[in-house]
Amino acid sequence: MEKLNSQINGHDPGAFRKRFKIVFVVVAIMISFLIIRMWHLQVFRGDELRQKSENNSVRLRKIKPLRGLILDTNGQVLVDNQPSFDIIFVPNRSRNIDNVAYKLKNLLAARSLAFNSEIPFLGKKGWFPPVKLDKNISVEKLAVVETHASDLPGVTVEVVPVRKYLSGEMTAHIIGYTGEISPEELKKDTTGSLGIGDIIGKDGLEKYLDEYIKGKSGAEQVEVNVLGKEIKVIGKIEPVSGYNAVLTIDSSLQKVAWDALKDKAGAVAVIDPRNGAVLALVSTPSFDPNLFNGGISFDDWEKLSTDPSHPMGNRAISGQYPPGSTYKLFVAAAALEEGIITPDTSFTCNGSFTLGNRTYKCWNKKGHGRISLHRAIVESCDVYFYNVGKLVGVDKIAEYAYAFGLGRATGIDLPREKNGLIPTSEWKLSRFKEIWQLGETISISIGQGFDLVTPIQLVNAYAALANGGTIYKPRIVKRIETADGRILKTFEPEPKSTLPLSKETMDILTHALWGVVNENGGTGQALRRKEADVCGKTGTAQVVGLPDNENARKRIISAKFRDHALFVCFAPYKNPEIAIAVIAENAGHGGSAAAPIARKITDAYFENKNTNHKKTHPLVAADQRSQAEIYR
Amino acid sequence: MKFDRRLFFNFDWTLLVLILVISFIGILNIYSAGNSMDNFRQETIYIKQAQWIIIGLILIGIIICIDYRFICRFAYVIYAISIMLLLVVALFGYATHGSQRWITLGGFSFQPSELVKLTIIIALAKYFDDHMIERSYSLKELLIPFFIVLIPFLFILKQPDLGTALMLIFIAISIFFFIGIQLKSLILSVTGGFMIVPFSWFFLKDYQKERIMTFFNPENDPLGAGYHIIQSIIAVGSGGILGKGYLKGTQTQLKFLPVQQTDFVFSVFAEEWGFLGGLILMTMFLILILWCLKIALNSRDFMGMLLSFGITILIFWEVFINVGMVLGMLPVVGIPLPFLSYGGSSMVVLMMAMGLLLNVSMRRFVLHP
Repeated sequence: MEKLNSQINGHDPGAFRKRFKIVFVVVAIMISFLIIRMWHLQVFRGDELRQKSENNSVRLRKIKPLRGLILDTNGQVLVDNQPSFDIIFVPNRSRNIDNVAYKLKNLLAARSLAFNSEIPFLGKKGWFPPVKLDKNISVEKLAVVETHASDLPGVTVEVVPVRKYLSGEMTAHIIGYTGEISPEELKKDTTGSLGIGDIIGKDGLEKYLDEYIKGKSGAEQVEVNVLGKEIKVIGKIEPVSGYNAVLTIDSSLQKVAWDALKDKAGAVAVIDPRNGAVLALVSTPSFDPNLFNGGISFDDWEKLSTDPSHPMGNRAISGQYPPGSTYKLFVAAAALEEGIITPDTSFTCNGSFTLGNRTYKCWNKKGHGRISLHRAIVESCDVYFYNVGKLVGVDKIAEYAYAFGLGRATGIDLPREKNGLIPTSEWKLSRFKEIWQLGETISISIGQGFDLVTPIQLVNAYAALANGGTIYKPRIVKRIETADGRILKTFEPEPKSTLPLSKETMDILTHALWGVVNENGGTGQALRRKEADVCGKTGTAQVVGLPDNENARKRIISAKFRDHALFVCFAPYKNPEIAIAVIAENAGHGGSAAAPIARKITDAYFENKNTNHKKTHPLVAADQRSQAEIYR
Repeated sequence: MKFDRRLFFNFDWTLLVLILVISFIGILNIYSAGNSMDNFRQETIYIKQAQWIIIGLILIGIIICIDYRFICRFAYVIYAISIMLLLVVALFGYATHGSQRWITLGGFSFQPSELVKLTIIIALAKYFDDHMIERSYSLKELLIPFFIVLIPFLFILKQPDLGTALMLIFIAISIFFFIGIQLKSLILSVTGGFMIVPFSWFFLKDYQKERIMTFFNPENDPLGAGYHIIQSIIAVGSGGILGKGYLKGTQTQLKFLPVQQTDFVFSVFAEEWGFLGGLILMTMFLILILWCLKIALNSRDFMGMLLSFGITILIFWEVFINVGMVLGMLPVVGIPLPFLSYGGSSMVVLMMAMGLLLNVSMRRFVLHP
C-alpha cells in the first residue's frame, strides 16, 4: 500500500490517508443517525404508529371549492351553487363489504326509500377507491344514514357543492354545464392542478371560463376510527372559491328572446354593434343543465344525446344555415364597391331568370318588373340578384363575404363555434375536383347552394355595417371579479377588421335595409315601429331543392323540409345600439316567421331603455356567502 | 489498446455483486410499490426498472474497457455536453409537476440534471489533477472549480429542482474539503455563505419555501407538504421490528404514500421489511460506501482518487438525504435513493458512475506509461 501511494505523484499519501479516516468515521456516524432514527420510529414508536396505520386513522379528503358565480350584465345571478348530499362508501374501512351494502339497502327499503345503486363492489376483494352510492339524497335518506351510522361501517355522507342554474334552459347553451373530470381530460391536464373527482366545466362558459371560475380545492386531514367515522380534523386547507364572471348578457332581453323562440327550433343572437357585446344568445330546443349536477344519470344522458332535435348543440354559434336573402347584402356590397353596378343599375324581373336550359325563379312569381338596387333589396327580388351575382362572380362575392366575417369563426368566447362555409371556385376544385359552374353562382347570389352561415356570424356582419364598418369579436364575458367584487380582468371590445367599403356604399346599403322595414312593399314590415328606426333584411332559406310542380311541392313540404325563416336587423337607423339575427328552423318565410320574433326583442330593448334608465341593480349579496353557510 | 490480463484478475467482483444485490432489492420493492396502484400504467414499472439496470450494466461493460485516464482527458468536453443538455432542457424541455426537467431523446425521456451530478465530479477531478499543489487551496485557487459547479447549479435551480441543485453544492463542498481548503478561506466562504442564505430565500419557489417551513414546523401544515412527512413516518413506523411482510404494507397498498415508487420508495421498504430490513439495507449501503472509499484510497493516482471519492460521496449524500427525508429528519427535496428509486436517468447515471469506480479499481496496479 505504501508503495502504491508513493506513486501518486505530487501529493502526500499520509495526509490523504488521514482524511480518508475522517471520511470513514463521518459516514459511519451519519448512517448511524439514520439507523437510530429508524429504531426510534419502528421500535420505540412502532406500536403507536402501527395503530395509526391499522385504523387507517389519517385520511386526506379533498374539499371541493365553490365555483364562481356567473352574473348577467346587471348583476343578476344566473349560476349559483347549492349543497348536495352524497352517500359515499369507503371500502377499506369495513370488514364485510357485501353485508354493509345489503344492510343499507334494507334500511332504506324499510322506509320505502329507493336505493338505486348497483352495488358495484359486490364480491370485490381487496382495496378499491371510494364509491359514490347515491347523489343529491333527500332529507329522509340523510336521516336514515346518519342515525344508523354505527351499523354501516365505511358509509359516510359527503356534502359537496353543485351548480344551480337559475336561468335553466334559457341560458343552457351559453352557460354549459359541469361534470367530473374524465380520465382523458386528466391526461391532457398540463398544470398538474387537477385530480380524480374534480369538477370541471364541460361545455359553454363553464368550460371556457374554467380557469377563472373553478377555484382551488382545499383539503382536510381527518382522523377516523375503525368504523370510518371522523374523530377529529387534524388539519385543514380551506378551498378557494372561484372568481365570479360577469357577462354581457342582459337576462331580461334573453328571456324575451327565449319566450319568443322557445316553441320553435332555431337561434337568436343579439349584439351591441358598437362593441360586439352579446346581449342575448338563445338556442332552441334547449335542455336543463341542472340535470348534470353531481353527474347526469344514464337515462337522462341517453335521452339528451339521442334526441333528433339536438337540444345540446348551441345553434347560435354552431348551427350552420343557408343565409337565404340575408346574403344579398354582401352580394350588393361586392357589386357596388367593385363598380359593377351603381345604385341606378336596373334589371327586369319577370318572375324568373334563365341560364342555359335552367330556369331560376323569383319568390314573386308575377315578377317585380324593371327594378333597381334599392327596391331590389326592399322587395328582396331574386332575379335582380341573379343578374348581379352573375356579373360579380363567385370569387368576388366570397371575398366580400369573408370581409364581413363569414366563412370563419367569429372567435366568440364559447367553445365549439363553427366556421360556416363561403364557397369559392378554388374551394370547389379542391373539395370536389370539379370546376365551378355558373349556375352555382346564381344560387349563392341569393344565399342558397353551398353558402352556410351561423347566426352569430350573420348578426356580426350586419352589426359591422351598422357601426360604420368595424368587425368586432363578439364577446359574452364582460369581466372577471373576485368574490368580494374586486375587478380582476376586464374584457375590452376587440376590433378585428374593417369592411373594405366606402362610406357611400355603406350608406346606400343601410338605407336599403331601412327601406325593407319602413317602405311599402318591404319584406320586413313586421318591424315597423312608429319611430321608424329599424333596418333589417328577411331571408328564407330552402332546406331542400323543391320541384317546380306546385302539387309535388305541397306534398314535400312537410315540417321537416319547410324553409328556414331568417331575419337580421339593427336599430336605431342612426347610431345603432342593437343588432339581432333570428333563425327559426322550418318555420316558413322570414318576414312572417322570424321578423315578429325580432320585433319582440327590439320592442323590449327600447322599452327597457326608456323605463330602466334610472333603475339601479343592487349587486347580489350571494358573493359574500361563506363556504360555511353553503355547507350548513 | 493492449489487453492486460491483470485487469481481469483485478476486477472488483465484490462491488459488482453489491450493486446487483441492492438493485435487485430495488426491483422487488418497486414491484410492491407499483402493485398498490390501481392505475393501469403502473404494473410494468418494475420491468422498466429492470431494463434500466440492464442498460446500466451494458454501459458498465463499455466504460471499464477504456482507461479512466483516457476518459478524463475529455472531462471538459463531457462537462460542456452536459451543460448544453441543461440548456436544451431550459429551452425545449417539458415539465412535470411544475418543473421543467425533462428532454426527450429518441423516444426516451431523460433528466440531464442527473447526468450533471456525474459530469461535475469528472470535471473537478480533471481540474484538480491538472492543478495539483502540495498545500491546501486558497479561495482564489478554488474560483474556477466554483464556477464549474455554479453554472449547472443555476440551471438546475431554475428548473426548479432544489434537491439536485443542492446535491451539486454538497458534492463540490465535500471534494473541496477533501483536497483541503486554507483555514482563512474556509472562514471567509462560510461567512459569505451565511450571508447568501437569507438572500436566496427570495429566489425559491413558493412550494420550496413551503416545504422548508414545513420541515421546521410540520404541525402547521399537516396536509400538502406535511402530508408526505406524516404519512411517510406512519408507514415507516408501522413496519415495526419485523415489518408487515412483502406486498402487505397497508400504507403502501392503500396509496397513503405519494410518489412512493420514486423519492419515497424507502418508506415502502421500511414498512414491509421493518427495522430489521432497514438495518440490513442501511448496512449494505454503508458497506458499499466504505468499499468505494477503499477504492479511492487504493487508486493508483490523484485523478482516480478524486473521481472515486466524488462518486462515493455522491452516493453517500443521496442515501443520507433521501432516507433522512423519508424518516422526517430532513426537509422534502427531490433526491432519489440510489439503486432503489424508480427512474431511468438516475439508474443509468449511477451505473455509469459505478463503471468508473470499477474502472479505477481494476487499474489500481497499472503504472503510468
